[in-house]
Amino acid sequence: MKIASQDPAKFRRAHRSEAVILFTVANQMFAISADAVQEIRSTDSLAGSANEIEQPEISKVRHTLERAHRISYVVNACEHLRLRVTRPTLVLILRQMRVAVLVDRIERMVEIAAVHALPRAFNGEERTWYRGLAYVDDQVIPVMNPKGFLTAEEFQQLDRTAGAAASRREMEGAVQA
Amino acid sequence: MSAAEHTGGKSYVLLQIGDRRFAMSAENVSELAPPVRLHEFPHTTPLVAGVIVRRGRIVPVYDVSPVLTGKRSSAHRFYLIARRNFGALSEPSAIPVSGECELATAEIQPPSSDGPEYISGSLMIGDERIDVLDMEALVTSQPMDANDVARRGIQ
Repeated sequence: MKIASQDPAKFRRAHRSEAVILFTVANQMFAISADAVQEIRSTDSLAGSANEIEQPEISKVRHTLERAHRISYVVNACEHLRLRVTRPTLVLILRQMRVAVLVDRIERMVEIAAVHALPRAFNGEERTWYRGLAYVDDQVIPVMNPKGFLTAEEFQQLDRTAGAAASRREMEGAVQA
Repeated sequence: MSAAEHTGGKSYVLLQIGDRRFAMSAENVSELAPPVRLHEFPHTTPLVAGVIVRRGRIVPVYDVSPVLTGKRSSAHRFYLIARRNFGALSEPSAIPVSGECELATAEIQPPSSDGPEYISGSLMIGDERIDVLDMEALVTSQPMDANDVARRGIQ
């Protein structure tokens, strides 16, 4: 055994870098692949296209977003990550996923050399939340897994609730007409 | 780190956690790392405090103080880096320790029958009886509650 001196991090170079968006939720920084994000909008701009959804078992989803006849579910990142709930100002609309994510702030976009596997020591929900860890400006930042915001079962449950709510709205519209 | 003189037996690293000394088999220990930045992020795994970066690798940090002493460890600390096995694979794991460690060679005595699972035996170093930690059992233990602290007579 040896006493080691403090040395700078020397990460192995990856074959290709990846562009990620750094964002904050409850003062914690996270990264998400830029390729996974289709659009970033302010929460204020969603007023016309968002509908409330009541699904007490999935409390992190309180709104749906209708775009091009497709319903996406708006996930509050604070609740998803079990952080104290803040007032999100932005929504990340994910590409090829029916998910939009409420976040507090976008920090910047950076290129990362590698996404490092989450150590096996982590055995909780974080294995679904994160693709891995990135090293940015001397800081280890979790890289979000875009598929980890909602499970297949949660999608099914939300689809049922959203379908029932849409039928109700149609019926109410027909009665008023 | 200094070495205690003993003849025969296996080598153990003696480490200080809170106000108690423990031992760990030297076979599992790879280095004593200086106080480096602990990176924290949300997760739900008990006892894992975050990660440190050592030699280009991301190393999980287990704060075992709540299990061993009933308290969280202090902010300024060294990290003892040991290997934890996951089936055929293993990964380096860090345990915060207070200051210097010592290398000792001694015969391990069997553990007491009513002791916690993470104590695999004890060493007699001079007049001091030092519990030997089982890394795997330790990091999968539950933190002590107030009753455990009182029962084990921890200050």
